[in-house]
Amino acid sequence: MYIFSPCLALAAAPTGATSMNSKAQKIKAAGIDPGYYQAVTEAIRTEAAKILMEETVVGVVGYLPGRRRGTAHPALITTAEQAQKLIFSPACVNNLSLYLTKAKKGVLNKGRIGVVAKGCDMRALAGLMGESQIKREDLHIIGVACAGVYGFGVDRSAPLSETNIARKCRECNVHLPEGADFSAGALTTELSDMAPIEAEEMARIEALPQAERWAFWKEHFSRCIRCMACRQICPFCYCEQCLCDKNRPQAVENSPRPAGNMAWHIVRAMHLAGRCGGCAECERVCPMDIPLNLLNRRMARELKELYDYEAGRAPQEKGPLAQYREDDDQSFIK
Amino acid sequence: MHPEATQHGFEPKIVAFVCTWCTYAGADLAGTSRMQYPANVRVLKFPCTGRIDPVFILRAFQKGADGVLVSGCHPGDCHYMAGNFHARRRFAAFRALLGFIGVDLARLQFSWVSAAEGGKWVEVVTDLTEKMRAMGPMPEFKSLEQEEQWSGASGAFQTLADDGELKEAFDSIT
Repeated sequence: MYIFSPCLALAAAPTGATSMNSKAQKIKAAGIDPGYYQAVTEAIRTEAAKILMEETVVGVVGYLPGRRRGTAHPALITTAEQAQKLIFSPACVNNLSLYLTKAKKGVLNKGRIGVVAKGCDMRALAGLMGESQIKREDLHIIGVACAGVYGFGVDRSAPLSETNIARKCRECNVHLPEGADFSAGALTTELSDMAPIEAEEMARIEALPQAERWAFWKEHFSRCIRCMACRQICPFCYCEQCLCDKNRPQAVENSPRPAGNMAWHIVRAMHLAGRCGGCAECERVCPMDIPLNLLNRRMARELKELYDYEAGRAPQEKGPLAQYREDDDQSFIK
Repeated sequence: MHPEATQHGFEPKIVAFVCTWCTYAGADLAGTSRMQYPANVRVLKFPCTGRIDPVFILRAFQKGADGVLVSGCHPGDCHYMAGNFHARRRFAAFRALLGFIGVDLARLQFSWVSAAEGGKWVEVVTDLTEKMRAMGPMPEFKSLEQEEQWSGASGAFQTLADDGELKEAFDSIT
């Protein structure tokens, strides 16, 4: 007894302690040290100034601080002095790859461009390269080891924590940029597993009966005002003329009426299937809070399950819907 | 004019998007072989199943189709080598999307019918028509088309209507 009981106590204690420790660790990691973002900012400034001075690039697309505290906006800078104003903070939510697409003409024509990219932005860049929209040699990618950004409509005066982090960042699996020319910051702390709100929401909707799923989306799409912000912000919506703007013949009604709203959101999700890198910018800019990223994620999951394809991991010449295998699943076809 | 209106039972509308090389020829064979199949199906001819865009299907539903059939050549028989392979992937994804949105996938049927399979065409069309007859009309997309404005009951506008301050402001408009 004398020998056994301490042993048992010892045997029990570490397990208990470890699980408690790991929990404590996770809670701590969820609140990212604001100093980390400062370090990333410094690294970005140094690199941007260096490449501008060496004339490796003609400009750098990055973030400048906004006029209010806790805000930032995208900017194209062209001199080393301006590079000293660049920042990276949890307010740097934009996906800067957008500014390199055909939809925003002219930036790339002047020469090689530097771009600050978080993991999710890197996926968009890879996708755009795969679709021959941009060339790798035209870019100098300043990758950011990103610990997450603010969600929308949250308190931005507080440091980033589990309460105000963006929903996409909770389930992020691209914290570390791969294939960048330069990496800013090094995430040493293991990022915590936060409750995956989006995955849970998706599972919840899928578990609903069919009529309730329809009612759920109908209610959400009913609020759509067809401002097309989701299209304008999307790096992959670079078509010169959108199918949904055509009216001869008109495939999708373009006034904010029920039929057109439903059709627009279905077409948008379908056109992004197998391309969307999951930056969730569409959802962020939506003034009516429609959970657009749920549709994107559902399609991404489907294509992963069916064809083992993940968008934006590396530039790929053909997306899942532009290629085929002779033995693809056809159980749904009579 | 008519002394008494005749009440007709529900007849489903089926829209069939078919490829010209296989299923259209198959349907033609069914006709020339004098096989009988329901007249509920409206056949639309396309060069290839690869030409059929998912918005066509949406449009069909919006305009009142109760069921949609997409049919083309068997895999490997495509006149354009790979059109139906691409279509197969596209419609697999589209089906998943419609399912997630909450559309009953029984209303969307895909099939491979070759030019020699008049009998299969008859079977596919008959099956789908009978299934749709049993399921009744498809109200979802059609009702969206007919709604001019979203009803207050759908939530968003109700919240506005319940907002006292807003209501007061609204009422003060003369």
